[in-house]
Amino acid sequence: MQGIVISDVIIGILATGVRLLAPFLFASLGEMFCQRSGVFNLGVEGIMMMGAFVGFFVTLRLGNPYLGVVMAILAGIVLGLLMALISVTMQAPQGISGIGLHMFCWGLSGLLFRVYVGFITSIDGFKPLPIPGLADIPVLGPILFQHNWMVYLSILFVPISWFVLFKTNWGLKVRAVGVAPQAADTLGVNVNAVRYQCLMLGGALAGLAGAFLTVGQANMYADNITAGRGFIAVALVYFGRWNPVGILLGSLLFSMMNSLQLWIQVLGINFPYEFAVILPYVVTIAALAVAVKNVWAPTALGKPFRRESI
Amino acid sequence: MKRFTKGLTAVFVLVLLVGVCVGFGEASSKVRIALVLASTTDDMAWSQSMYDALLALQKQLGKDKMELVVSERLGNPVDAGAAIRQYADQGFDIVIAHGAQFQSVVFEVAEDFPKTSFAYGSAFKTAPNVFAYEPLAQQGAYLNGLLAGYMTKTGIVAVVGPVESGDAVKYNYGFEQGVRAANPKANFRIAYTGSFGDVVGAGELAKVHMDAGADFLTGSSQQAVGAVRACAERPGVYWLATDMDQSSLAPDKVLASQVYHWEKLVSHMLDLRAQGIIGGQHLYLSFADGTLEFRVSPKLADKIPADVMSKIEKAKQEIIDGTLVIELPKGTK
Repeated sequence: MQGIVISDVIIGILATGVRLLAPFLFASLGEMFCQRSGVFNLGVEGIMMMGAFVGFFVTLRLGNPYLGVVMAILAGIVLGLLMALISVTMQAPQGISGIGLHMFCWGLSGLLFRVYVGFITSIDGFKPLPIPGLADIPVLGPILFQHNWMVYLSILFVPISWFVLFKTNWGLKVRAVGVAPQAADTLGVNVNAVRYQCLMLGGALAGLAGAFLTVGQANMYADNITAGRGFIAVALVYFGRWNPVGILLGSLLFSMMNSLQLWIQVLGINFPYEFAVILPYVVTIAALAVAVKNVWAPTALGKPFRRESI
Repeated sequence: MKRFTKGLTAVFVLVLLVGVCVGFGEASSKVRIALVLASTTDDMAWSQSMYDALLALQKQLGKDKMELVVSERLGNPVDAGAAIRQYADQGFDIVIAHGAQFQSVVFEVAEDFPKTSFAYGSAFKTAPNVFAYEPLAQQGAYLNGLLAGYMTKTGIVAVVGPVESGDAVKYNYGFEQGVRAANPKANFRIAYTGSFGDVVGAGELAKVHMDAGADFLTGSSQQAVGAVRACAERPGVYWLATDMDQSSLAPDKVLASQVYHWEKLVSHMLDLRAQGIIGGQHLYLSFADGTLEFRVSPKLADKIPADVMSKIEKAKQEIIDGTLVIELPKGTK
């Protein structure tokens, strides 16, 4: 720990943890809406990859990362629509469809990168945006208020998602079609339309999560850049019990543990690195096993809606 | 009718003979090389260094003399094994499986195709038709370490490691010894992402290293590009590259690179095959035969003090002469 003050280390751990939060929050909140409506989308990882590529590519060509983010969201919406077409309209098994979508996006993003870029290069992504008046607050400033705007947006999406899901008419419809689609249908709710909307929203947020990786974090693109983060986002939806607040807690726990293990290694604390790198997963699973009892899930999750079926 | 049948048979035999001769002629004049990669040909590290080298060799020999095909994203040895077998079955002369993780599948397939040459690495175990190759990564790593040790201002030098295995182990050991030789008081820090390909994770690890005070960073494997990019955003920080010259990614940050000249190694394999040796040899990349190169970025050359450069040149010569031996952990060849 030579040359570094303990308080700086603690601030560093917490600030890094907050910075790592964004992609998980975006993708998990999007997946939460999908699953709340009854559709299990394992294609999140693939949509994130496409979002990452599109965000990177548009920024590289046009020099505007904001436009990159917008295009990544649009790409996510299109892929969400594709997932909806396959799993809602055509009623294909959702798990397999999601894995298929992931493989498709992995191949497509790699192909597009090879054809239209061809080599690893970097872009000017978003710089940290310290919030005036708040960024200078001791301790809290560097932890919470010295990140790029996408980090703030991801945290802001938690209360917004909670409000939309629990306090709006549309949110009620989403919850209804995920629990009792037949009942919702008899009350005039268009089940498939709501599921389409949720998959498009989930796709948009997964695209945004992917764009964060390239435009807000790495400032470059490489093959398989998501490295499994989309699958972790799906797991965090279960951890968070399909609730935005729970998802925030799960994402925070995972990100903080990840940050902690990085700092443990960097400071040379005598701890085998093999255990350090699995620490976030072990702690998250342990917390899930200990803290989350009587897991409730949307009862229609994974079941295609057929009007005549009971 | 009998004469006609005899004539037809003669023509048939003639055609067959000509065909066989042409076939042999082609086989002997054109070498067919297949490359199996765990990542992609544009990873700017381990895989690309080999692919670019083979392209350079093909350019040197001519496309009519060398055929090159490549399979990417085969990090899973089982999938890679299927590709290796297919290439051998299709009659390729040399199948290069570019990764230590492919050892068992290479040996399994090599037994079934005794006339095909296989090559893999970093590794040392060979078979009659299997070449094992390995860069002496510790050599260039040592020079990179010297550079970091002499030039660090914060006294903190860091490694963004992938997984503690193979080439990375040798590189990291060599780098650490170089740092300590140049600056015994330097704080040497090493951390791993647990992955070879997590570009974002490597970038985050580099940021944490820099937050904790490191001003000279290095690291191997395809994920390293994420760390290079992270360094590009911090003033006063330099990156030391390995596998290939990574300066195009951050021209103001990549001070020096250890470059692998695989083309010379594969060319040597071709020479051996011409002598009838199709495997069984353990081949190295080293400074001694020029298959390893220590390249200072021309753009940043003036940042390195002349006395530091001369010490590095001296150490390089001592490595070549064998008077400077870089220690490796037990069990690492």
